Amino acid sequence: MSCNTSVTHVRVSSVSQAQGVPVHLMPCEIEHNGPAEVSQYFTATTKDHKHEKTVSFRGRGLKGQEIRCPEGYTGLVLKEISKPGSDQEDRTVKVSSVFDKLTYWNLETPPNSDDTVVLAMDWPKMAEAIHGPVED
Amino acid sequence: MDIGPFEADNSVSCRLASQIPDVCRVEDCCLGIDEAGRGPVLGPMVYGICFCPLSKTNALKELKVADSKTLSEVERENLFQKLDEAKGYVGWALQILSPNTISTSMLQRTKYNLNALSHDTAIGLVQYALDSGVQLKEIFVDTVGPAEKYEQKLSQRFPGINVTVRPKADSLFPVVSAASICAKVCRDRIVKGWNFSEDLGEVDTDYGSGYPNDPKTKAWLLKYLDPVFGYSQFVRFSWSTAQTLMDSKAVAVHWDDDEEDGEKAAHRQNNKSMLSYFSASAGGNDENPAHQTHRFFTERRLRSLKTL
Repeated sequence: MSCNTSVTHVRVSSVSQAQGVPVHLMPCEIEHNGPAEVSQYFTATTKDHKHEKTVSFRGRGLKGQEIRCPEGYTGLVLKEISKPGSDQEDRTVKVSSVFDKLTYWNLETPPNSDDTVVLAMDWPKMAEAIHGPVED
Repeated sequence: MDIGPFEADNSVSCRLASQIPDVCRVEDCCLGIDEAGRGPVLGPMVYGICFCPLSKTNALKELKVADSKTLSEVERENLFQKLDEAKGYVGWALQILSPNTISTSMLQRTKYNLNALSHDTAIGLVQYALDSGVQLKEIFVDTVGPAEKYEQKLSQRFPGINVTVRPKADSLFPVVSAASICAKVCRDRIVKGWNFSEDLGEVDTDYGSGYPNDPKTKAWLLKYLDPVFGYSQFVRFSWSTAQTLMDSKAVAVHWDDDEEDGEKAAHRQNNKSMLSYFSASAGGNDENPAHQTHRFFTERRLRSLKTL
């Protein structure tokens, strides 16, 4: 891993124009970056009963649930405005969409409180406890 | 036959059944088992049982039921009509395995193969007949796999019932022919009127027989391939025809239980390739051991982002 001196800027002003979008966290790696017919194929076939969602992707059964972003946080989808010519150049990304909840999916296993992404949401509280100001 | 209950949700398995004739609850009965749509890459597989009192086997024979494969679609519909008219002594039940059920079972983490799925479905149907009070004495089964083992399995599962498993049983025993007609009629109707739950707009229904070697089926599979999602739930993803097409025309998807190997996979999974142990930097000095991430973070797959 190379450490370089380039800086990545987030164009914060773009937040106000960004639209809220549904976000899915998939239990697989899809070698694709770009648009996909999510609502036609995925949302249209998702079943929702008793807090557990089911769907299948590429013939495999998925079980999922919705999870909210930690209080006070907003999820951002970032998009690079123009690709840099070299890794020394600074980069600029804009906020293309925002989300305050996402649906994460497990392969066959029902969602539970031990799932990585659920646990990950502990961090902001933990960070606050570690790094926050100490009150006497 | 009302396929409405299946059409209400064609992503799951569904049972359809006739009324149980009263006479089947008091007289010794025989039961036939057959399936329709094992081979096709499209649509459901339908398992069927048909049963009647032993005393009525001749009457059933006179309905001239024959192996459904030798009949045209119209002939099958007519024969099903006749079976329906004989509902005073003939009963049937069907288990529809949706293509989605087939895909997700066969592609499960712990693979559930088509034979096991078929056997369990057949057993489930026989159990249904028994639970409904049908006095079963004889079972005849059509099979594609090895008959002996299957016969043993069923005999053990249903002690006291005489089980005969035979290849081509559908042309040997009228009660099996009857089961095959019920199953085939059901599959035909479902495939004909498949209701796509995906939002695909107007779908061309000229998909042919659904068998992988049918040119119409092949053309349809090419036309309705999505680069990301692959196919609709009408397609059996576990069929090699579908997989081959996705491998060549759709984007690659990797799962944590994929059985892939080789240099590229190792790299993708962040594993060290065997070869790296022989290279100059063997021992992996590139990571500072003093900076080992705490397991609070690794357990949550959290890491600090240094670059995009």
